Amino acid sequence: MTDFLRAYSIQQWLESAPQGYLEDTQYGHAAGEKEPAPLMENDALREQAIRSTVQLVVGERCALAASSGLINSAPDEGSKRFLATQTLDEARHVEVFTQRLVDLGVHRTKLEDVIRLHANPNLVKFAELLLEQVDKKDFIAGVVGQNVILEGMAFHVFEMLHAANKDLNPKFGHTLSGTIADERRHVGFGENRIGSWISQRPERKGDIERMQREMSYYMLATFADAFRDAPDQEEVNRLRSNMRRDAGQENPEWGGVDLAASSPEELEGVLADTVLREFKIRLERIGVEYQTPLRP
Amino acid sequence: MEEHGPNLHDLDPETFCDYVHSFQFWFDAVQGYLEDRSYGHRSDTPTKELDEKSRDNLITVLCNYCVGETMALEGAGGLIRVAPNRATKIFLSTQAVDEGRHLEILERRLTELGVPRVGEEIERRASPKLFEFHRHLLAYVDAGDWNKAIFAQNVILESMEFASFYTHSVHTLETDPKTHELLVGIIKDERRHIGFGQNELARRIAADASLARELAQVRKDLDPLVFHAFDEVMEKTGAPRDRRTDTGRAYLQAVERLGIE
Repeated sequence: MTDFLRAYSIQQWLESAPQGYLEDTQYGHAAGEKEPAPLMENDALREQAIRSTVQLVVGERCALAASSGLINSAPDEGSKRFLATQTLDEARHVEVFTQRLVDLGVHRTKLEDVIRLHANPNLVKFAELLLEQVDKKDFIAGVVGQNVILEGMAFHVFEMLHAANKDLNPKFGHTLSGTIADERRHVGFGENRIGSWISQRPERKGDIERMQREMSYYMLATFADAFRDAPDQEEVNRLRSNMRRDAGQENPEWGGVDLAASSPEELEGVLADTVLREFKIRLERIGVEYQTPLRP
Repeated sequence: MEEHGPNLHDLDPETFCDYVHSFQFWFDAVQGYLEDRSYGHRSDTPTKELDEKSRDNLITVLCNYCVGETMALEGAGGLIRVAPNRATKIFLSTQAVDEGRHLEILERRLTELGVPRVGEEIERRASPKLFEFHRHLLAYVDAGDWNKAIFAQNVILESMEFASFYTHSVHTLETDPKTHELLVGIIKDERRHIGFGQNELARRIAADASLARELAQVRKDLDPLVFHAFDEVMEKTGAPRDRRTDTGRAYLQAVERLGIE
């Protein structure tokens, strides 16, 4: 266990993140990178970018509250220190995505209003379920909820967004690639650390499986809202295709589908299936039986 | 933002607060003194052999520092959810990682000094008054009392640590360069934490004078624990009287800047 935790020390974190892939970045991207002009000049594209960035801020605020809240209930010093690095990672994500809202033209004094207006209620419910475990100082359920479910979801959402944006919007693509590198570390900690605790506390499995099922439902409901009910979706897709065509870029792919040519229902399906499939694998690794959620 | 951060003098007060509490500001600040260091010191920093008595005293002192850093880590982590806005949440996240780093490098130093089971040694050697302080601090944090918790943590605890580390660092310059280097890096972080606490509370006290009376009561409860802990550790380690006076004076100077009697 001690050897495992050594890989998650603050020294390792300093060398790999701030002094590694984050070196020479400003708010997660290279200095001077800007949001693409066609996005800033078109209200539909800019609004869509603001709406999706708000969901990232909401998710990261939840992760910040959860990881910091878990420090006190962590059973050993090594886990406390890892959670301190995760806390700062999550705070950085809150900062860089909030900064993106400002870059997209949201005035600093209006940030909270804009976040309240666009925050998806199902994502808020998802966050509340996780924070209930943290408030109860239930470390095992908190780490499964945070480092397996929330981080597992965030990882794939970021990957999909990264695939869709890395050529079209390098600034946002760079911001996402740093957060993906962080999330990979967080998911690894959850899997490695929790398995041994669950094997010592088999009576906790039932509660954790119920929590997973409920959180998964709200995650799917969030995806449904994002893909099915997004305003101006056709117009946004057409404009993004034009941007790609003008730049001579090919359609992006992720999860075996063409992200530009697929319908919103197909995109929702591939994201949901990818995340749930990964949940199943990761939960099995820690000895928890995956529970199929209801479909919204 | 310019390539090396904005000119602070050009910022309006709100943007200034946002910036100095940001990850970006923390990152730029720590890069100067953490780059090219592993576990708080350079690879070529000489290790001087300590005689048995000095080694044992150093272990006692470091064990007590570890208790202080653990409570600061738990306090900073727990306060993030209570923090009133995004900028203060982000600042406390940087503080949580600073405190975690301090704990990590101090425990590492204990291992280098030949302590086999660090956790047990800390329990055995730490002042009970520090554990009592820990309980007080976490009670404020659990109650969500932002003002009292920030005062206890970022003013009183940080001033206690600053005073101890500063006085200790002066005396280790020649005798123990490795410990000296760790302490100098930690002190730089502590200055940032005390500054945050003082700024945060000074604005609130200016807006509500009754807050000063509430915080005076917190100080009345915690000061005796701080001085008892100083006395106990210095007694155990046979520290000379002038060092005890220097540490007490450094603590009072740091904590009294806020004007809380």
